[in-house]
Amino acid sequence: MQSKFSNGTARITRLGRRGCDLMEALGRAGVFLFQSAVGVPSREGWRLWLHQMHFVGVLSLAIVLVSGLFIGMVLALQGYTILVDFGAEQALGQMVALSLLRELAPVVAALLFAGRAGSALTAEIGLMKATEQLTSMEMIGVDPLRRVVAPRLWAGFVSLPILTVGFSVVGIWGGYLVGVEWLGVFEGSYWSNMQANVAFVSDIGNGMIKSAVFALVVTWIAVFQGYDLVPTSEGISRATTRTVVYSSLAVLGLDFVLTAVMFGGL
Amino acid sequence: MTDAPFIEIEDLYFSRGDHEIFRGINMTIPRGKVTAIMGPSGTGKTTLLKLIGGQLTPERGRIVIDGQDVHRLSRKALFTLRKRMGMLFQSGALFSDLDVFENVAFPLRVHTDLPDTMVRDLVLLKLQAVGLRGARHLTPAELSGGMARRVALARAVALDPELILYDEPFVGQDPISMGVLVQLIKRLNQALQLTSVVVSHDIKETLSIADYLYLIADGQVVAHGTPQTLDTNQDPRVSQFIHGEPDGPVPFHYPAEAFYRDILGEPPMTKTG
Amino acid sequence: MRRSKTMEFGVGLFMIAGILGLVFLGLRVSGLTLSAPAQSFQLEANFANIGSLKPRARVTMAGVTVGRVESIELDTQWFDARVVLSLDSELEGQLSRDTIASILTAGLLGEQYIGLSAGGDPEMLEEGDTIRDTQSALVLEELIQQFVSNMASN
Repeated sequence: MQSKFSNGTARITRLGRRGCDLMEALGRAGVFLFQSAVGVPSREGWRLWLHQMHFVGVLSLAIVLVSGLFIGMVLALQGYTILVDFGAEQALGQMVALSLLRELAPVVAALLFAGRAGSALTAEIGLMKATEQLTSMEMIGVDPLRRVVAPRLWAGFVSLPILTVGFSVVGIWGGYLVGVEWLGVFEGSYWSNMQANVAFVSDIGNGMIKSAVFALVVTWIAVFQGYDLVPTSEGISRATTRTVVYSSLAVLGLDFVLTAVMFGGL
Repeated sequence: MTDAPFIEIEDLYFSRGDHEIFRGINMTIPRGKVTAIMGPSGTGKTTLLKLIGGQLTPERGRIVIDGQDVHRLSRKALFTLRKRMGMLFQSGALFSDLDVFENVAFPLRVHTDLPDTMVRDLVLLKLQAVGLRGARHLTPAELSGGMARRVALARAVALDPELILYDEPFVGQDPISMGVLVQLIKRLNQALQLTSVVVSHDIKETLSIADYLYLIADGQVVAHGTPQTLDTNQDPRVSQFIHGEPDGPVPFHYPAEAFYRDILGEPPMTKTG
Repeated sequence: MRRSKTMEFGVGLFMIAGILGLVFLGLRVSGLTLSAPAQSFQLEANFANIGSLKPRARVTMAGVTVGRVESIELDTQWFDARVVLSLDSELEGQLSRDTIASILTAGLLGEQYIGLSAGGDPEMLEEGDTIRDTQSALVLEELIQQFVSNMASN
């Protein structure tokens, strides 16, 4: 009886400690975000930002565009087989465009971004920490938050919405290839139906807002995991995994919340 | 004023988790001399350097550098103070995305507005001093361990600091680069009127360059003095370390059950408390 | 130095591509028009029932798109729908007073749009005028009801 009781309290204690750890980590991450994002960039800062734009943005372009093309093509194929039963295949353009702009482009691009760029950011910053580069930077009198973290944070924040636009454009084109060129939907109705039903502000604009939110969250998680990790090879591999897992979950969870607010009539 | 010690450490307490690392350390580090801090591995020598650099905050006690209490400074003042310090890291810690030249130029570029030609001259001067002017276009990945440490040394003195902290400068070096480093540290100290703090457990090399020694063990200073006085010190802890005896007050064995109990597989004695 | 120039060029292209993509989405996908307001003129039309007509639906004449639906609101005086049409300015002063505006459906389930057919009145419609002759949207339920009651009376 005695041991069962103490087992129970131990469990509660453990739960409490987890809770405290979690809150502490969240607090650290918040302070971290504030300290790195706030501040006017110098000329040197612009150069570093540009460098990171290349690394996280331009180099992620290929995978995002190829995925977008395939997703657009699959959407058209699946959509056609369903719509043709109702004789409504001319609504294909609308269906492809709306699913891409509202949901698939922001979400899938963010997931790909987390896997391609987020994990690399974590590993890179983690390795800099493990090899004492961050400490030595501090000792030289340069704040690594400003020098290392801030350019990466901003580059991620700017890149992902651009990648999302690319994803949508290529996806709509892929839908056009399959729907119009292959399955024979009338070209005029593909575009006109799309134009009549896609609103710039509420569909494209909301998709962009989603994408910006995901960009901030994914990049934040990636750089924080890199900065906060245990500087060993095992710690780096764990943090990289955590980046992908946490940011994927955060993207999908936030997507539901944002969709409910934007399109769910809340 | 010049006779006042450069660094004063008073009654310093620091612990990591439940593990006490320092329990009341007092040191004075004289200006313009090489002071060595020695001790067995795991006594927190690197931690002490990080405390001096203001990257860690002690639980009690204070560290005063040239009249400024390091842990009472604002973030900005601390960064200003750090411009007057250089630190040589165990791994060199060169920035992997910059080449050798840019690594040495880094402190100059961020802290001064010197024109490019002058930065170039200064960097080449520092690289010449460590004998690596010809390696300026290499990336850190292409350097050997000894070369990386020499480049890091050139970077540490790029801003002509008043204080250099060396973290285990001799670890893992072949005899030749070890000799080169010893020479360099000695020469730099004399030429630039630096105050140097060397943290190390390589006795021979350290004794050859240090003007004054502190020996720490169990979170406290167990002995200090010039190399000559320590060499003849009768304290068993000191002589074990200085003469490199395998067993002594610092036991060879990690604390464990009695050996025959472990081997015979008898149940270990239950600990009380 | 050359490497960093090509990198900067790549990033520049990347950002331009992003902006162009957004322009494409705006123009081609959501059908925004860049034409300034001066290039269009507005007419009003009241419909008894607009079905599922939406703002920014097409307005066509003989199958050619000549404008868009600007706004739709309930006219509280007659309790019908007041639709504001925004038409190409070249049609200003060209449409006769008895032009008919009807709400049509593209295909069986397609989107609804407004079709204009010209009349013969010598007087022309000007900015802000109202089209009198309108045909409401066909509502499927009403059609079926009519059909069933016709069957019953036969």
